[in-house]
Amino acid sequence: MSGETDDLFAVVERELTIVARTPAYIATAVGFAAVVWWLAYASSLTGYVPLVADLLTPVEVLVPLLAVAFGYRAIQADAASKELDVLRTYPLRPRTYVVGVFVGRATAVLSLVFVTLLVAGLFVPLFGPPANPVIATHGGDGPFGTYLRFVLLATCYAAVVLAAVVAVSTVAARGRTVIAAAVGVFVLLTVGLDLGLVAALSSGVVDPDALRYLLALSPNSAFRGLTLALSIRTVEAATLPVSAVLANVVGLALWLVGSLVLAALSVWSDPPTERWQVVETLSAGRGTDASTDAAADQREPAAASVEQSVDGSDERSGGAGAPDGSPED
Amino acid sequence: MYARYLVTALAAVLLVTSGVFVVDVDPGEGPSVVDFDDAITMSDLTQAEQRVVKERSLAVPRAEVFYSRYRYVVGHQGLSSLVTELDRDGHERQFGVPLSIYVTDYADAELAAGDDGFLRVTGGDTDWVAVESAHFVVDSDARHPGGAAVVPFSERAAAEQFTDSFGGTVVGWEGLQAHSFDRSELSLAAAERRTTDRHGWADTAAADARQLRDRPVSVVVGEDAPTLAAAIERAPPNTTVVLPAGEYHDVNRTVRKPLTIRGAGVNETRLVGDGNGSVLRAFDARVAVTDLSIRGIGQQQARPNLTVDADAWDAQVLRAYGYAASGIEFDDAGGSYVADVYIETPTNGVTVRYSDGVVIEDVRVDGETPWREGFMSTITVHSRMVVQDSTFVGGRDGVYMHLGDGTVVRNNSFADLRFGVHEMYTSGTLVANNTATRTRTGVVVMTLPEDNVVTRNHVTDSAVGIDVAGRASYVVGNTLVDNEEGLDVGSDRSLFARNVVVGNDVGIRASTLIPTNVVTANDVVGNDRYVSTSLGPVRIWTDDGAGNYWGGAPGVDSDRDGFIDRPFQPTGAVDRYAASSPDAHVLATSPAVQLLRSQEGSLPGLRSRGVVDEAPQVRPVRPAAVAAALNTSATRAGTGVLA
Repeated sequence: MSGETDDLFAVVERELTIVARTPAYIATAVGFAAVVWWLAYASSLTGYVPLVADLLTPVEVLVPLLAVAFGYRAIQADAASKELDVLRTYPLRPRTYVVGVFVGRATAVLSLVFVTLLVAGLFVPLFGPPANPVIATHGGDGPFGTYLRFVLLATCYAAVVLAAVVAVSTVAARGRTVIAAAVGVFVLLTVGLDLGLVAALSSGVVDPDALRYLLALSPNSAFRGLTLALSIRTVEAATLPVSAVLANVVGLALWLVGSLVLAALSVWSDPPTERWQVVETLSAGRGTDASTDAAADQREPAAASVEQSVDGSDERSGGAGAPDGSPED
Repeated sequence: MYARYLVTALAAVLLVTSGVFVVDVDPGEGPSVVDFDDAITMSDLTQAEQRVVKERSLAVPRAEVFYSRYRYVVGHQGLSSLVTELDRDGHERQFGVPLSIYVTDYADAELAAGDDGFLRVTGGDTDWVAVESAHFVVDSDARHPGGAAVVPFSERAAAEQFTDSFGGTVVGWEGLQAHSFDRSELSLAAAERRTTDRHGWADTAAADARQLRDRPVSVVVGEDAPTLAAAIERAPPNTTVVLPAGEYHDVNRTVRKPLTIRGAGVNETRLVGDGNGSVLRAFDARVAVTDLSIRGIGQQQARPNLTVDADAWDAQVLRAYGYAASGIEFDDAGGSYVADVYIETPTNGVTVRYSDGVVIEDVRVDGETPWREGFMSTITVHSRMVVQDSTFVGGRDGVYMHLGDGTVVRNNSFADLRFGVHEMYTSGTLVANNTATRTRTGVVVMTLPEDNVVTRNHVTDSAVGIDVAGRASYVVGNTLVDNEEGLDVGSDRSLFARNVVVGNDVGIRASTLIPTNVVTANDVVGNDRYVSTSLGPVRIWTDDGAGNYWGGAPGVDSDRDGFIDRPFQPTGAVDRYAASSPDAHVLATSPAVQLLRSQEGSLPGLRSRGVVDEAPQVRPVRPAAVAAALNTSATRAGTGVLA
């Protein structure tokens, strides 16, 4: 099992290297932070709860945009450059590859979202208007905890959307249509699903009682619902029952897991085990140590070879088709 | 291998911070009572009544409220404002829900009523008790200067003991909320009703006073008596002393019987004082002075050494203003009358003290210019009077009221004064159909009174048009043109409606910290700035789905309901330029601005310095008045964007 973990982190490290070496990603990250900070600065900054209310809608739009920017070429680029074809010859399971890609990109995106929003929260004590010193105030504007909840929810939301984008990148990897598909998923997530709900509600297909669970199926509605219920807690949202919160959590989890499963299933099919048997036999022919060990150890040498090839990528200058974490063009 | 550490670190940070979902972040956890003086207060009492409370150390139950969506602590003096405010439409919208409410606990205090009937604490201590566990005595004989007192106790036994001596019934918090209190009704209909009632009273008072013109002539000065003094001496009560054309230096006279003194006209009969004190004094009811002019009034303004009831809280006010040298001075002279009189004065024109129902009409008072050298053209002290159809030029204030409850000031014109109408400690007045120009403030109401009506006045070229403090007041249908600042919304729980605010440097200024005013159906056109605000929460200036007309507000009315679909933020970074710059409209509809504004109006109590109108009117509410105002507005007629 540790072999698969090593594989996973090999892929993760490769993804992080790609992100770090691609100027477009750095520029996107800087842009995202700048927009969020400007929006925060332009809001009234009188407290954490008002800041959450101000940032909620921008975050609903900007986070999917960020996820699309960071994720839509994640797997498609590998497919286009035929690296995917090379990778599948390694003893690497598709799920390991997909989860690795996801975790790698997510590490970058989630850190960015988390840190950016956290810093925006600091604007409240730093730049907020002073309360009238003559008049007693109380904590009606919310403690930092309410804001931190929002930041964490936004970070989770980013993970979910990124998973969906990675899935799209996988499914559309064969065609040249990945950018269209990515824009499609962005539109679907930011307005499409909610518009569908509005249409269903107004045409009477859905009755308002069912809305709670249907909303949970739209990731941004689920995120918004959780933010209203757990962070802003308006009068109306404070009365949201636990079942609504749970439904939203389950909805987000389903999107996350479902997207990754879809990606894992469609990236490439598991190679037939016999092929590896052959390799194994050759390896066993040179030495005798592995002959009695069962399937658990089967992958060790092969996995190590992947790791070597990845680890050695820095030294191996531009070996054709090697998964060396070179920047995406 | 750095990936492992990065991922682990991120996961660890997210996990640890997730602890915030299990800790309680409720903002309402146990705010403790603050010093009452530090809270923003709403009161059942006017400032005049508050002065009485302070002077006599009376007991007035208090409350402190901590709201979920309002950062300042709100204090209530008297509990009727607490109950009515919590119940007001739109209250929750602006303040959120009360997290906790504390009221004064009199369980350990000894309470007694004084000779004046007002409640006092004679021993023991008061404390605070949460409303949920308080017992309130209602409908008892206990009173404070603002009305019946609701008295809270932490223990039921103490409350019942109180009812033994004061009567009344004991109710819980829910019972108190169900109890009926007088609520200020902030509607145009309520304003109109008050206007009609007060006009009615003034009409009656004027008709009554005009009868004094019909008294039979008993003495003609120069024919029946050599001097005015002799004539006053000779004339029997309820008759007329006639002053034929000419100049009279035999003045500084005091009338102590109900007489009418009639000249031959302002240009014919001239009373000229010697520059010392008042020219005429009337110290009896039903004295009339008509058809003459008065000059030569003394210079004395404040009377610091005057003997008045020195214990009264307003002794200083009386000494400062109430006894200045005047053209005509009334004291204890109810139902008196001044008409068709011209007064030129360095100090007061007509002074009215302790004399209800005095009517002053068709008078012209010329005061000093600059105003600092002058004083009050007319002043009422502890009296309800009528001032109408008169002209006031120069001097400090055209009409000054001190405790002049119910006074009516209508159809006058004011120019080159400090204040046109200046109300101090005065409630229940009507200021209607006056014009004021080149003043510091056209109509100013100070000292937190209640139930004043300021309607259909026209103020131009002044520093401030109309500035009304206090509560439950009505500022309706006024026109404010070319002032530095048109309308000052400085009151609370008051109605500002159907005013035309055109061509001012600042249209409306919002200066109260506690946003309880109704501001709706005003036309704000062609001002350099729509609105300026002082520190405080965002005010929502929309009432029952209807907002104001903001000349040039961007947006469309797609559902044709008469209101622009897009909320207007007259203090907003872009909207504030909407009237003067068509380019601002282009920017105003950009997604970036939409994004910034997407949450405008939510959580208004936690935001600072702003005004949001959620339903701006498509067309002016009073198009003819706006067009007329734009015509007269010298400076900025071009910028009024009319639909």
